[in-house]
Amino acid sequence: MTDKADVWQGTLALMILKTLQTLGPLHGYGIARRIEQISGGMLSLNYGTVYPALLKLEQEGSIESEWGVSDNNRKAKYYKLTRAGHKQLERETHDWQQAQMILAKFLSATEPST
Amino acid sequence: MSLIRAMRAWFQRLAGLFRKQRRDAEFSAELESHLRLHIEDNLRRGMTPEAARREALMKLGGVEQTKESYRHRRSLPFLESTYRDLCLALRTLRKSPGFTTVVVLTLALGIGANTAIFTLIDAVMLRSLPVANPGQLYRLGDNNNCCVMSGTQNDGSFVLYSYALYKELRDHAPEFSELAAFEPWISDLDVHQNGAAAQPYKGEYVSGNYFAMFGIAPFAGRLFGPADDAPGAAPVAVMSYHAWQKNFGSDPSVIGSTVRINGVACTIAGVTPRGFYGDTLRSDPPDFWLPLAAEPEPWKLQKAETEFLYVVGRLKPGLRPDSVQARLTVELQQWLNGHREVIPDRDQKEIPQQHIHLTPAEGGVQQMQTDYATGLRLLLTLSGLLLLIACANIANLLLARGSANRAQMAVRLALGAGRSRLIRQMLTESLLLALAGGLAGVYVAYAGAHAILLLAFRGAQYIPIDARPSLPVLGFTLLISLGTGIVFGIAPAWMASQCDPAGALRRAGRAGSDHSSAAQKPLLVAQVAFSIVLLIGAGLVTQSLRNLEDQNFGFVTEGRLIVSINPGLSGYTEDKLPGLYQQLQEALPQIPGVLSASLAYNSPLGSCCWKPRVVIEGKPPDYGDRWTAPSADRVGPHYFETIGTRLLRGRVIEERDRPGAPNVAVVNETFARRFFPNEDPIGRHFGMGDASHSGDYQIVGVVEDAKYQDTRGPAYAMFFLPLLQVPPGEPVRGWVGAIELHVAGKPENLEPAVRKALADAAPHLVVLNMMSFGELVARNFNQERLIARLTELFGALALILACVGLYGVTAYSVARRTNEIGIRMALGADRGNVLGLVLRAALAELGLGLALGIPAGLAGGQLLAHQLYGVKSYDPAILAIAAIVLAACAIFAASVPARWATKVDPMVALRYE
Repeated sequence: MTDKADVWQGTLALMILKTLQTLGPLHGYGIARRIEQISGGMLSLNYGTVYPALLKLEQEGSIESEWGVSDNNRKAKYYKLTRAGHKQLERETHDWQQAQMILAKFLSATEPST
Repeated sequence: MSLIRAMRAWFQRLAGLFRKQRRDAEFSAELESHLRLHIEDNLRRGMTPEAARREALMKLGGVEQTKESYRHRRSLPFLESTYRDLCLALRTLRKSPGFTTVVVLTLALGIGANTAIFTLIDAVMLRSLPVANPGQLYRLGDNNNCCVMSGTQNDGSFVLYSYALYKELRDHAPEFSELAAFEPWISDLDVHQNGAAAQPYKGEYVSGNYFAMFGIAPFAGRLFGPADDAPGAAPVAVMSYHAWQKNFGSDPSVIGSTVRINGVACTIAGVTPRGFYGDTLRSDPPDFWLPLAAEPEPWKLQKAETEFLYVVGRLKPGLRPDSVQARLTVELQQWLNGHREVIPDRDQKEIPQQHIHLTPAEGGVQQMQTDYATGLRLLLTLSGLLLLIACANIANLLLARGSANRAQMAVRLALGAGRSRLIRQMLTESLLLALAGGLAGVYVAYAGAHAILLLAFRGAQYIPIDARPSLPVLGFTLLISLGTGIVFGIAPAWMASQCDPAGALRRAGRAGSDHSSAAQKPLLVAQVAFSIVLLIGAGLVTQSLRNLEDQNFGFVTEGRLIVSINPGLSGYTEDKLPGLYQQLQEALPQIPGVLSASLAYNSPLGSCCWKPRVVIEGKPPDYGDRWTAPSADRVGPHYFETIGTRLLRGRVIEERDRPGAPNVAVVNETFARRFFPNEDPIGRHFGMGDASHSGDYQIVGVVEDAKYQDTRGPAYAMFFLPLLQVPPGEPVRGWVGAIELHVAGKPENLEPAVRKALADAAPHLVVLNMMSFGELVARNFNQERLIARLTELFGALALILACVGLYGVTAYSVARRTNEIGIRMALGADRGNVLGLVLRAALAELGLGLALGIPAGLAGGQLLAHQLYGVKSYDPAILAIAAIVLAACAIFAASVPARWATKVDPMVALRYE
């Protein structure tokens, strides 16, 4: 892996869902910021890419949005998980962990199997 | 789950196509708030306002890019750009109405011709009977032999069944839920309703389980069943919906009422469902269905050797037709072995070859289908060719237009438009044109199919064919529209997109070679080639039709009127026939305008046929097979002069040839040649039946051959007997079926006078129909005429299209080379040189097209050869005429723009530079 990883679409969606689950309703900037922080600077993220991903999730019914006011009294659009979004997150987390487990086993297997 | 999510997203994106501005504004606000939040954070971290702003923008990755990818995700970009292409295409097409009209018209003709032909193919060849589960119906037999036979059948394949054999199969074929029988022909009926004058109708005699087998429910009343088809059952009839509606005004009181059919009081049990036309698709289908028990000639049912019924059954689900037919064949052979009287001794050895072949009867008895298959396939090929020519023409027009738009295209490419987007946009335009053409084509097809039906079934009262394009046909039209749109659109689009912007911009508006003219030439050559093929085809079939119509039929078609009657049905018994004949022979010549009149059992091109076995005195019995056995006819005095058949030797049948006088016969040339080669037939004797009859009739005359049935082949051997002369002790069988009149002036004008005279002389006699010989002959060539007229039409259209194409391309090249021509003229070229320069190119394309098309036309003629009458498929005169007509029209079309070229003013042309 080179110095900074690009974020690809599927994982970005999962990260957004997880962020919204952890932090509750949040605006786009906050989400992008949080993803960057959690990755500890290992991810190079153009904040702009968060918005098409948010739109896709909204079109699919996983999240919904509403204009609100931020802590420091700024107008911002807030996104929050829907019930379908919770389910999707649960399912995708499970899938992801399983895939990771399989791959980990696969990569650590050293002896030729019979 | 994920499918539902994807669907949901798709609908959301579809909704995203609308209210774009509001959504754009909302996202701008969101981005603005994003930047503000980010900048505030940055300021909090101690950055300068300048740096805070720059960092926020950089992190975002560009406002416009973000907006673009957001927009991309928000709606369906493909749909959006298609919509934009459509708007642009509509705008451009509206700006050039001339071009649009020509293209849409050309396409409408091309697509309309194909759709019309396909409508007919769909209606005639592909549609099933309008009955329950037609796929379960199977017919016992695989050809259309008609009508009454005995003994073994052609090639051993049984199609005609005796009533006894039918009952045997019906009662021992558990594979069929119902097995029904019916007569292959339509019978004339005399129908009297409440004392009104009798009217002629069409009827069919069918077995009692006929309607049950088809599984149809009555529209009104009831349909008869097996109980009605038994000896002694009360006579009933079932009426067709069409007859009920058209002739009885949909009057409900008709159902259950009593009418007299052929003199028998019959109850009208009910009406068949709308659209039901019986077992066979044909013009003038039955108006009434009657049980077989009501057959006016009951001997047909009684004799086990009289084979006259077609059999169709409903196979039970899950059974294999091939195993059923194997079992039926065994049963047939057993039955034939058990009924030795059915097959003459000499044919007994053929019993093991007799078999039953089950054929699907989804579409009923395939009579029209068989008759028209070749013709329709030919027409489909020709209309396909026409469509290709139309496509070539439109491709040419589009190429010319594309070249004219090169500068514009170059600008768009230079400004960064993608080539695939440009191709898509041009394809949108051509598809739009094609669909408009297809829509107009459906209209052409609708009108065309009607016209074709009228042409194909000239003289029919009712054609149970729906000429409205059906859903599959409309699908077919849509497919060919899209196909043609892509075919003629893709090449010009591709070429236009390949242009090199720099070069095109530099050369804009100037002469020079380009891709499109290189593509136009082959298209033009192809067009000329296709056109000459169509023209040659048109020439061949037209000449063939003319030969057929103008041949020597052995009778005269002008000034003859034929009246069909059926005294048997009109209640004339055997003892009343001599009186009737006498009355008619006296009354008919009295009608003003009638030059001579006669009576006959059969007249040419009328009903068929009576082919008895003939024995010649002093010769071994002739056991020639049935189909070459001579045909027999009975005729009255003056018969031959009335129809215009020439007497070659001896005398004709005269008044003196009455019962009691010596029995005489007249034979035709073929009869004389066949039975008396190199002998004088006059004075010889022959008879019908076994050897004891060989002296029954003496030949007194020989007449020229006349075509009574088949108008394409040579005439059959025939002999003619007086109406009432029979061998001693035998009854007169049959009766006069036709009255012949030789009239002055137009035969049709005499119809009312003839009807009146007949009503006075024989009030009970029903006139089945009345027609001039000319019309009878014309109807005999319905299919040939249909093909000839349509081929001519297609040929003419092809010619016009080819000329338009040549004109367009020449005009375009003149326009493109205006300054070149100007320079040449300034350098001293005269008008002749310029004319030559322009015409040379057109002539080269014409010549190449002819060189390619004529061999193709010859090959096509080969395929047509078996359908042609009296004309060789390589007829040089037709080839020459087709080539000359095409060349003349093409040269004319090219010379118009060429003349413009000679009018170019060098000064103007050069200044344009």
